[in-house]
Amino acid sequence: MKRAMIRIILLCMLAATLTGCAGGNSDSSTTAPKPVTITIWHDKEDAVADVLQKALDALAPDIAVKLEKKAGLTEALKMVGNDKNAAPDMYWFAHDKLGVYAEMGILAPIGDFIADEELADYIPMTLRAGMYKGTRYQMPLYFETLLFLYNRKYMKDADVPATTEALYGYMKRKTHGGHYGFVEQHSTAYYSAGWLHAFGTEVLNAQGQPHLDDENVINALTYHLKFVELMPDETEYATVNTLFREGMAHATLAGPWLVPTLREAGIDVGVAPMPVVDETGLPLAPYSGVQGLHVLKVHAREKKDAIMKVLTALLEPQIGTDLALVSACAPANGKCYGDERITSDAAGMEMRRTAETAVPMPNLPEMDVMWTVLGNLLTDVNMRGQDVAEAAAQAQRQAAQLIEAMR
Amino acid sequence: MKLSKRILILLLCTAVLASVCATAVAEEVAPERTIVYAQVPDDWQYPCLWAWADDGTSAFASWPGEQMEPDPANAGWYYAYMPTGMDAVIVNANDGGVQTSDYRIDKQNAWITVTSAEEVTVSFEAQTTGEAPAYTERFTVYAQVDPSWENPGTWAWEDPSGKNAFAAWPGRAMKPNENGWYSARVPVFVNSVIINANNGGVQTADIKELDPADVWITVAADGSYDFTYEDPDMLKAEDITVYAKAPEGWEAPCLWAWSHPDGTNAFQSWPGEPLTFGEDGWYSITVPGWINSVILNANAGTVQTSDLSVEVGRDIYLVVKAADDAVIAYEEPAE
Repeated sequence: MKRAMIRIILLCMLAATLTGCAGGNSDSSTTAPKPVTITIWHDKEDAVADVLQKALDALAPDIAVKLEKKAGLTEALKMVGNDKNAAPDMYWFAHDKLGVYAEMGILAPIGDFIADEELADYIPMTLRAGMYKGTRYQMPLYFETLLFLYNRKYMKDADVPATTEALYGYMKRKTHGGHYGFVEQHSTAYYSAGWLHAFGTEVLNAQGQPHLDDENVINALTYHLKFVELMPDETEYATVNTLFREGMAHATLAGPWLVPTLREAGIDVGVAPMPVVDETGLPLAPYSGVQGLHVLKVHAREKKDAIMKVLTALLEPQIGTDLALVSACAPANGKCYGDERITSDAAGMEMRRTAETAVPMPNLPEMDVMWTVLGNLLTDVNMRGQDVAEAAAQAQRQAAQLIEAMR
Repeated sequence: MKLSKRILILLLCTAVLASVCATAVAEEVAPERTIVYAQVPDDWQYPCLWAWADDGTSAFASWPGEQMEPDPANAGWYYAYMPTGMDAVIVNANDGGVQTSDYRIDKQNAWITVTSAEEVTVSFEAQTTGEAPAYTERFTVYAQVDPSWENPGTWAWEDPSGKNAFAAWPGRAMKPNENGWYSARVPVFVNSVIINANNGGVQTADIKELDPADVWITVAADGSYDFTYEDPDMLKAEDITVYAKAPEGWEAPCLWAWSHPDGTNAFQSWPGEPLTFGEDGWYSITVPGWINSVILNANAGTVQTSDLSVEVGRDIYLVVKAADDAVIAYEEPAE
């Protein structure tokens, strides 16, 4: 009886083994696992996109990452961001639009894929930029800030003004005969916001309420006026950059993207910390734009593992370094600053320092309105000579009305 | 205070200073230079050096080349520096009105004695005594003076150090130019000048806080002055007109224009500015003369050409047959 039982058990085990082997052979010869495709929309130049593409190609064959350059990316996301058949899995863009998409409910929290602890080495400002109403929606890659650039032919390193009063004195001495001691886009919201921040104020609070009639906004605009008087009337992007590039201005506020052009033009460019406002003790604090990856909710669940692997791959400092260098920006990952290629880049290192005080562009949907309203306020005050307090009150009313209309 | 505390404070101060001080984006490596000396006849005024390499590279931007400086330590000798690698030179004077033939120097320092335009000797052994004056970059001070101011000169120095550009008052005699302006080259350390005339009998006040850039100073009879860094004779970059023809189905074409590679845009936002359709059958728009790249687009920016490179400062005729088929001309093409 016992022997019979043992024979039966052995026969069953043999049969099971043979069946298992046969099944295994059959699977491996006919159905290899299909790669998961992750589509990332972006608006970057080919040279920049190629760096990320090559880095993420390492995830093949399990994951095939497809970077797709998309014209009108921000509008396209509004149209198809929750369309399973048309939406990408992720998009690569600046942080300042994510509030709109979060409100639309098309974004998945980054925390679903990457724990906050994994981002412990990242520059805090770049992490703040990706937060909306307490949730992180962006995996930061690199960032940019405006820089104080100066022409070393005219402004000696020792003469670089450390304070705004020193800058004003320099402008008074050097603004003659078609040359300017300092030029900036004084009536453009993005370029002038640094003056407001240096007076301890912002145009929107965390709840998306404007406060353009805030006392500190008025103080900042009033103080800024005497600098504006020593600059050309026309201060749009082309005029300011041309003045600096052609050696007609000693110093300016500009983004890192201008530096290669200046070098080509033979300008010996210096980069310096933002001057400190004497009255407040705070430096001019420009806006910062943080570029990074955002995950769309539409495929987030079914492709969770693949998305997690993509985001985990981006924690590698080498990728952050390569992306920052090719895009003339500064890496978001603090570990990148151990790389000599980054530490030897004066513009990048100055952006790293400026990141301590720079203000991420607000990612609140209300900011769309504020760009225009603040721009108009600056024009009214700086170019039309309107009373600062009156103009600020008028701008506040206009902003409140437009924001109310959005809701 | 204990020594260790002092050292600690010193280290901290050094660290803070290092962290806040300004830095150059890229350290320029000073190019190597070659010097050419020349002795010229008395009637060769304001001699200049023109030089080039065998591959056609010119040492200087335009004829007659670099104005030569008198060497204060070697009377009668003038000198000019040029980038190393030049193979041949011409010495000329009187605004290029007289000149030597081409002389090979084969990338070496040279001493050229010009007895006349045809009689020239070139030596590669030093014919002057002492060290050559150090190379210094220079800029030009131009002056337009009242007719009562004869033979104007420039006195130049660095303020407040008091370092002078020239050995003795009244300084460097200024060269008369055909356009009525006088000129003199001064080293880039100069930030203050005086324009004088009548052998120092009349002069301006100190003109201070100058930038090391070409400057045009207008001087009235009483010595009052004004100055500008913009060449009064230079025409501003004038606007240009872009003419375009668009294919069928391209409604309300717009132009997007910019300067490559700095990315300075002519217009605030995409798709740019609409062109106006004219009776001549061309769309047209006026844009700044500095743009060197354009895109023609239509249908609210949903169809467009690729980036098209164009010459700076010239009217453009752009015929677009399809998004990937555009032809640029600088004269109106025949039908």
